[in-house]
Amino acid sequence: MSKSIKTGLIITVLASQILLAAGLLLTGLYDTQRRLLASLDAGLQAHAMSVAALVRYTEDATGNVYFDDSLLPESLDAGHPDVFVIWAARSGLLVRSSHWPQGLDLPLGGARHWNFTAAGVPYRGLRLEQVPILDREVGPAFAPQTLTIVYAAPTVQMDKQVREAGIFIAGSSLLLLGITAWLALWGIRRGLSPLQQLADQASLVSARHWELHLPAETKEIAELRPLSESMAMMLSRLQRSFAQQREFVGNAAHELKTPVAVLKSTLQSLLHRPRTAEEYRAGLEHSLEDLERLERLLQWMLRLARTEQWAHGALRPDLPVIELSATCEEAVERIRVLAEKHRNHIVLSSNAEVRLRADPEDMQMVWSNLLENAVRYSAEGSPVEFAIARRNGGPAEITVEDHGEGIREEDLPHIFERFYRGDPSRTRATGGFGLGLSIARAVVEAYGGTIRAESTPGKGTRMIVELPVETSPLTPTGN
Amino acid sequence: MRVLIVEDENRLAENIARSLRESAGYAVDIAADGQEGLFLAESNPYDVVLLDLMLPRLDGQEFLSRIRQSGQHTPVLVLTARDDKESVVALLNTGADDYLTKPFDLGELLARTKALIRRGKGQASPVVAIGDLELNTVNRSVRRAGREITLTAMEYRVLEYLVHRRGAVVSKTELLEHLYDYNWEKFSNVIEVYISGLRRKLDVGSSPPLIRTLRGQGYSLQA
Repeated sequence: MSKSIKTGLIITVLASQILLAAGLLLTGLYDTQRRLLASLDAGLQAHAMSVAALVRYTEDATGNVYFDDSLLPESLDAGHPDVFVIWAARSGLLVRSSHWPQGLDLPLGGARHWNFTAAGVPYRGLRLEQVPILDREVGPAFAPQTLTIVYAAPTVQMDKQVREAGIFIAGSSLLLLGITAWLALWGIRRGLSPLQQLADQASLVSARHWELHLPAETKEIAELRPLSESMAMMLSRLQRSFAQQREFVGNAAHELKTPVAVLKSTLQSLLHRPRTAEEYRAGLEHSLEDLERLERLLQWMLRLARTEQWAHGALRPDLPVIELSATCEEAVERIRVLAEKHRNHIVLSSNAEVRLRADPEDMQMVWSNLLENAVRYSAEGSPVEFAIARRNGGPAEITVEDHGEGIREEDLPHIFERFYRGDPSRTRATGGFGLGLSIARAVVEAYGGTIRAESTPGKGTRMIVELPVETSPLTPTGN
Repeated sequence: MRVLIVEDENRLAENIARSLRESAGYAVDIAADGQEGLFLAESNPYDVVLLDLMLPRLDGQEFLSRIRQSGQHTPVLVLTARDDKESVVALLNTGADDYLTKPFDLGELLARTKALIRRGKGQASPVVAIGDLELNTVNRSVRRAGREITLTAMEYRVLEYLVHRRGAVVSKTELLEHLYDYNWEKFSNVIEVYISGLRRKLDVGSSPPLIRTLRGQGYSLQA
């Protein structure tokens, strides 16, 4: 079952309402009962004193007393008669009311107020002791007596009132509960509607339609603002990378067309009429060369795509710690043939041992790309300087410097862009694809480094790579 | 016919040139960049130019607008890797006559080249008839009054050029310029050899003679 904010909120609201109602009911009941009891107790006291007043002395010197029942007070509850018992200190049991329940025996002593049930009727009783007799006789031999009075009234009426109060409180609470639940539902539904609008708008976004039209409401609501803002940002990021991807595919397709055109024309021309064995051989060799060129282009494109993919992630801890200069030497070796053809000499120098956590193959590719460019654009016979340097505690700095024609100022900011060719002639004539520097940058950045170019037209170009160094020991090689 | 290919992809240019020479018997010059192409186009009368767009030193678009500005009417077939509508429209508006997207079929390239040459000479149909002479530029066959005439490659090229320029006086120099590419040595007496060969084959058993010689001026083909 899916979780629902609405259901959750309503349940919370209702639960707190029910809790509130229950509390109200309990305190209401308690308070009502307390008040009623207090008034009942006052009534009991008054009635007890009234019956006490009916005790009179006999008009003699014995000081005996009698009960005059001609002026009995009315019961507190007309439906249920009160009961009472009076004892005199010397005369003993004086009177017991006519309704005194059969078999009810009251122990002397104990609490002043207490509750009891007799013959199925609940009573509240009051016990008064040492009550003086109001009727005073004045005489020399007069010995006054005191009374003990127990007066009890049925609580049937009071219990009924408490029950009615309880029903009233509970009923009105339930009604209020219903109203607030409905209000809460309405409020939540209304409050959440901008979320629905946001979802509706978001569902309209597609690769063709990137615009997210946020309803005005969602911008005003504080809780939704972070969501709608981050959605808009996410969309613009997605759109940007989508556009880049599309541009890359477009450029790649464009770049692939030329070698395919060459290959196709070679084969068609070869098939056009019967050829000599030498012609076939030459044609096949040319085809193979073109195919290799295509293959290289494809590999570079794939490598670029792959590198850029993990460039956004963290450094991979599974990579070995390697010695930088070894990858540089390897790259120099790879470029040696090309350099000799151009009569360029690559001078490799290093002022420190530098360790890196990297795939050596990636590093070699970066250096060979930079060296290949340097050699291609160098003046014939001039040296190419390849230097590794490390200042105290800083990153490793690797520079490749040539003494060639340099890069035009307007091209300099673009040379790392994929398929960028400042002068279209340059790379085509020299065999590049406009991908080498983008790959180099993608790899360097994937390793947390930076790459930049400085160039003086007519004098030469300097490529500077900075890479973070590794302090842990070299990973031993497998063999 | 003489064709200029302006294409920096050397092997592609060579393949196209070979195909044009072998299949159509055209004379072909190749320029590896825009500057060289412009120089060749300005100094030689080409019957069609095949132009790549991404060119060193002077790009295709610029090449095109320069030769059009200088008043050249030579048909231009553009070879491009881009096939989006905008760039095609821009190309045609700059003065290109047709375009082909890479990679293309050599057969299609050849057919389009021939069509452009025909149109450039004001001739829409691939089969040209002058009197009882019939020249089919597609399969390079020649008939006169229904009779099949077998010509050598060079004789056909001379005849084809004269047919496209029918009625006009064509000088030996013009013939040389249109039939030979830049690398060939040009001897005007070679033309006379081909003309006499053509006359022998075309006019045997038929009249009137189709090719007339205008002394000191050149040749003219008309019915």
